[in-house]
Amino acid sequence: MATLNSNGFVLTTVDELLSWGRRNALWPLTIGLACCAIEMMHAAASRFDLDRLGVIFRASPRQADLLIVAGTVVNKVAPMLKLLWEQMPDPKWCITMGGCASAGGPFPTYSTLQGIDRIIPVDVYIPGCPPHPQGLLYGILQLQKKIKEKGVNKYDKAFEEFRKDMERQGLLPREVVV
Amino acid sequence: MPWMNQVTADRVKREFKEVEVERTKHTTNLHVRQEKLVDLMLHLKEKEGYKLFVDHTCIDFPEKKERFQGIYLLYNPDANERVLVKTWAVGGELPSLEKVWPCARWAEREAYDMFGVVYRGHENLRRMFMWEGYSHFPLRKDFPLEGIPEVELPSLTELYAGRTDPPSHDYELVHTRVPTLEDLERTEKSRLQKKAQLVLNWGPLHPGTHGTIWFLFDLDGERVVQSDVILGQLHRGMEKIAENVYYFQFLPYTDRMDYISAICNELSYVTAVEKLLEVEVPEKARYVRTMFAELQRINSHLLWLGTGALDLGALTVFLYAFREREKIMDIIEGNAGFRLTSAFLRIGGLHYDLAEGTLDVVRAFLKDFPNRLKEYHNLLTRNRIWLRRTKEVGVITREDVYDYGLTGPVARGSGVPYDIRKLEPYAAYGEVDFDVPVGEVGDVYDRYLVRMEEMVQSLRIVEQCLSKLEKLPKSAPFVNKEHPAVMAPKEEVFMALEDMVKNFRIVVHGESAPPGEVYASGENPRGELGFYIYSVGGSKPYRLRIRSGALYNLSIFPKLIKDGTIADAIALLGSLDPVVGETDR
Ligand code: SF4
Repeated sequence: MATLNSNGFVLTTVDELLSWGRRNALWPLTIGLACCAIEMMHAAASRFDLDRLGVIFRASPRQADLLIVAGTVVNKVAPMLKLLWEQMPDPKWCITMGGCASAGGPFPTYSTLQGIDRIIPVDVYIPGCPPHPQGLLYGILQLQKKIKEKGVNKYDKAFEEFRKDMERQGLLPREVVV
Repeated sequence: MPWMNQVTADRVKREFKEVEVERTKHTTNLHVRQEKLVDLMLHLKEKEGYKLFVDHTCIDFPEKKERFQGIYLLYNPDANERVLVKTWAVGGELPSLEKVWPCARWAEREAYDMFGVVYRGHENLRRMFMWEGYSHFPLRKDFPLEGIPEVELPSLTELYAGRTDPPSHDYELVHTRVPTLEDLERTEKSRLQKKAQLVLNWGPLHPGTHGTIWFLFDLDGERVVQSDVILGQLHRGMEKIAENVYYFQFLPYTDRMDYISAICNELSYVTAVEKLLEVEVPEKARYVRTMFAELQRINSHLLWLGTGALDLGALTVFLYAFREREKIMDIIEGNAGFRLTSAFLRIGGLHYDLAEGTLDVVRAFLKDFPNRLKEYHNLLTRNRIWLRRTKEVGVITREDVYDYGLTGPVARGSGVPYDIRKLEPYAAYGEVDFDVPVGEVGDVYDRYLVRMEEMVQSLRIVEQCLSKLEKLPKSAPFVNKEHPAVMAPKEEVFMALEDMVKNFRIVVHGESAPPGEVYASGENPRGELGFYIYSVGGSKPYRLRIRSGALYNLSIFPKLIKDGTIADAIALLGSLDPVVGETDR
């Protein structure tokens, strides 16, 4: 907890400071998969203006710490998406936008991945088909809240397990060391 | 649009003795043995003027000896006539038509991918949407919609949070097979043999590719020696879904194909189904449909403008265009309750009546929008950078248009006035006045001008619909609920018993369509979106083929970019304006 004492100093912990910085500067990766991506673009454009929450889209996974999976993930694109996720530096978060990314949505078919959480651990699920840009805003606020409450360290263990799991399945790309 | 006339059919019959001419209620079909297929097609193309390759696909009849029937749809621009050519795949093989129409290459790849039909003489017959090593053929009748679950894929969220009771969510543990990166690498290698210095992957997850298209460029310095496009990163199995749901249930799926112009898709789809079911649409519904389709066209062109300009570095245009998009989306949301995937139309009319005040809002928009257009023109049309990046880039000739099955603004940019709204008026397009802008050179800049002018023409159409709707009484019917296959509006279902019973019947048993086949198409912002429905009776189509304008427009990309540079690829792709939801379906 940050406290203000009478000399005008703010006292806080390093953890708290880091989490404050991180949750107010979430940089998502610019990836659009399907219809939901259009609403994501709208959220970033003139009316909804995500920039004011410190959310600035980055074109490279190396600079991003948030993955907004906006759209249908089909089986063919799943390994590539995971590769991008693995290229993002820790700590990182994942938001699924829309029914498709969350659980396959209206496509219970042979080619569609039934939920991105089969390959990437998800922090916030946003329902909708597509969610309203306001829905995305709300999801981002929820993520900020989550980071504030839980801090950022809890992911280390999860990632270790995730990596092992991938290794077990033989899905880890050879050249990428996580 | 009429089908092949009797005189032509007789002429073809004199030339090819064994060709059978079949006239069904909505189509004219030529049946031919496959040995004669290439000759017949060449004849139709060169002698009879059936120059434009519209579509090709197959139908699976498991109980027939030859099983797969190939279907080709051609169009004659001089006589404004269509014809369907059908042939049986003997031994699961068909001859390839890529020498006659280069774009057949892609359609054949797709049929191979979905049905396993082998094309003799195809230069590189590979999986179109699935990956190399995928062992099924999804559109065969014996393949289930959900695929074949093979691997265990637990939800990681649940794994990490620890299992809870009750479970955090409900899912099937066993999943269809997901490819590995090696599989994808094999897919990539099989497509392009490296000839020059370096193979550059562009996409599939790249902000500039307008979705998830995967480009391969073989580069010599910055010059593209050869290239290929891998699709299927958004293949959701739409055509398979269509075979498994009732006609009215498929309507929301059409929204999700070309998600930028949802209402135009719906309009093409309901036009086809209404033709099959023979449903008359009330006047008011026709005008509202036209008005919304045109608003949606403006909306779609704005997205093209914004992202196309953004790709070439003009961020301002993007922000401006999205400002106007929001206004149109508000109008749509106010009526349909949804911004993007609106599901506003229904078979036989509309889902809702016009919302209170819609006409005033549209009027206000009409008044405001021309000024906004002027703003865009000021920013781009004489902008020196814009001119340098777009002029003389990606020139498409008229022959290309026919050879590659190009439609929509891409065809019109090259001076081919192919516009379904004029050639086969649907909704209220026959009753409104508008011009079809065409380009001269066929470069990126011309396609830009054509789309800009189309927005002006759309405004004209909206204006005319508006005047008409203002004159119609408020209580005019917006859905033809007399027809047995059309659902009554919701409010009436709660009030009248017979309406309730009827809706109940349709929801449970479907519409029961007559057997037959129809092809109907609409002029989408991305070209001709056609629906070919093959019905054997019952409430589900036996085969529903979606002819995607974006797919065929994209098929010319490798040819255009040859000897160009990477920078041109961005400008060119923006001007072709594909949407992956529609190319992959
Ligand atoms: S959730 Fe709906 S809108 Fe979003 S990608 Fe899926 S189908 Fe499209």
